[in-house]
Amino acid sequence: MKLTGHGGKEVVERILPGGMAGSIISDMPELEVDTQTAHECIDIGYGFLSPLDGFMGSEEVDSVCEEMSLPDGTLWSIPITLEANDDTIRKKGFREGDEILLTYHRKPLAIMKTGEVFQLDADRVAGKIYGTSDPKHPGVRRTVSRKGKSISGKVILVGEPEFQPPFDRFWLTPRNHFSLYRDKGWEHVVAHQTRNVPHTAHEWPMKYCWFAANEDLSVEVPHTGVLVNAVIGEKRNGDYIDEAIILGQAELANAGYFRKDTFAVSFTLWDMRYAGPREAVHHAIMRTNLGCTHHMFGRDHAGVGDFYKPYDAHSLLKQVREQLNIKPVFMMENWFCPICSEVTSSGLCDHAATAQNFSGTLLRSMLIDGVQPTRQVMRPEVFQTVQAASDTYGFGSPFVTDSYLQNRGNVFKLADPRKEVSP
Amino acid sequence: MNGQIMINIWINEERFEKMREAGLSGMAQDMLAGMKVTRVKVSEKQKDILLSEFPMAKFDSSTTGTIELLPRKVKDEIFNLCLEKKSTGEDVIEAFILRVRNGRT
Repeated sequence: MKLTGHGGKEVVERILPGGMAGSIISDMPELEVDTQTAHECIDIGYGFLSPLDGFMGSEEVDSVCEEMSLPDGTLWSIPITLEANDDTIRKKGFREGDEILLTYHRKPLAIMKTGEVFQLDADRVAGKIYGTSDPKHPGVRRTVSRKGKSISGKVILVGEPEFQPPFDRFWLTPRNHFSLYRDKGWEHVVAHQTRNVPHTAHEWPMKYCWFAANEDLSVEVPHTGVLVNAVIGEKRNGDYIDEAIILGQAELANAGYFRKDTFAVSFTLWDMRYAGPREAVHHAIMRTNLGCTHHMFGRDHAGVGDFYKPYDAHSLLKQVREQLNIKPVFMMENWFCPICSEVTSSGLCDHAATAQNFSGTLLRSMLIDGVQPTRQVMRPEVFQTVQAASDTYGFGSPFVTDSYLQNRGNVFKLADPRKEVSP
Repeated sequence: MNGQIMINIWINEERFEKMREAGLSGMAQDMLAGMKVTRVKVSEKQKDILLSEFPMAKFDSSTTGTIELLPRKVKDEIFNLCLEKKSTGEDVIEAFILRVRNGRT
C-alpha cells in the first residue's frame, strides 16, 4: 500500500531491518539525545514528519524561517533540529560524513549520518517562528535553551520502540493509521488535536466536525471517522497526565458517546512549541502524514497566553490552503447555553449574554476538588476513568506533579541490540 | 474580574443539601451547565499567606481572579468553615489560616 503524505510525497519508514543493528552500531561514536530529539527521531523514522528524512541543516532552517518552506518549496513551518553541546562535539570529533549512534537513556535509538555542524541563531529562529522573542513564551524558552551547535543528518531507527501500557493500545504508526481507515471503511478522517481530557465542549465540536468532514459521502454506512490524535511530549506541572488524556478520550467510545466504527484514538510524540499559527500548519502536516483528510482548528489553536489573536491560526491556514493536502475545519468559541440547554457555538447561539464558558481553569478546579461534574460538563464515565488514571498513574492527581515527573512510567522503552551480538 | 480575590468551591448535590440545611443555599451560584459554585472572599494579605502555605496553589490574576490548585482537603476544610460560620466572607479564610498556624489542618 502506497502511503501518500504531506506534499503528495510517499511516507517512507526509515528503520533498520530486525537483527541488523547489533553488528552495525557496535563501534559507532555515541551521542546521547534529549527527549525532544528522541521523539523527533521516532517521528522521522516512521514518517510522521514526512518528507523529512533527518535533522535540518542551516539552509533548511533558513528556508523554514524565511519562506515557511523546505528548500524544494514544500510547505514547512517549524525547524526540526538536533543540538549538541560544544564540548561533546569537540571531544567526540564529529565530522561531516561520520555515522553517529544517537542514544536515549543510554539505549541505541538511531543512526545519523552527520551532515553540517552549524550554529543556530536561536533568537532569530524564535522571532520568526513564534513572532516574539519574549522569554515568557514557552516555545521561545525551549528554542533558546537548546545550547550548543546543531548537527544535521539523515536518521534511521535502529529498532522499534516498545510502547508501555496503557500507551501500547493506542500507538499507531502512519502506516497503521492508513490500515485502520481501510479496515473501518473510512474515506474521510477528521483529526482532533488534543492535550486534554475530554469535556463536552470538546465532544460537541468533534461531532459537528464529523458532519462537516463527511461532506457528500453517503451516510447509510459510515465512511467518515473522527481520529483523536493526542500529543504526547514534555510535561509541565499542572498539565493533564498523559494516561488520563488518552484513556479519557478512549472512554468516549467505550461508553457509547461515539460509535466505535466512527471514532479512534491514537497519539503522536511531539513536544509542543505553542507556536500558534505556525504550529497549526505543522499539525496539519503531521495529520496529513497520518492519512487524515480534514483537521479541526479551534479558537487560538496551539497558542499560549495572549501571544496570538484567537483566529491567527485560521488566517495562516487559509493563506497556505493550496499547499495543504488536508482540509481545515474551522471552529469558533463553544459555550454552554442555559437557554438552548446545550453546548453550542458562538457562531450559532444568539444568547451570548447568558452563555457559560468552559474554561480550563474551571474544569481543573472541579477535578482537583474531586467533585463530579454534571454530564453536561463531563461524561460520568470519563470522569471515573480520569479519577482511576489519577490513582493508577498520577500518584493521586490527574495533573502533573513533581512526583509524576520524577516517578512516572516510561511511555516507551528501547531494546539494546548490542546485547544480542555475541562477543 | 472586579478586583475581589475569591476561592471557588464546587457544590455537588451533597454539598448543596448541607448548604440548604445551614440556610446558605442562596450563596451557591450557577456556574456551568448545572454546576454550582460558592465563592469565598479572600483579602490580599490572606492570598499571600495561602500561596506561601500551599506553594502548589496559583493565583489566576489575568482571567478569573481566583486562587486555584489548592489541595482538595484545604477546599473541604474551607467549605466546612463556611457552614460553621454561615458565611463566605474573609472571616472564613481568617479562621482557616488560624487553624493552619495552629497545626489543626
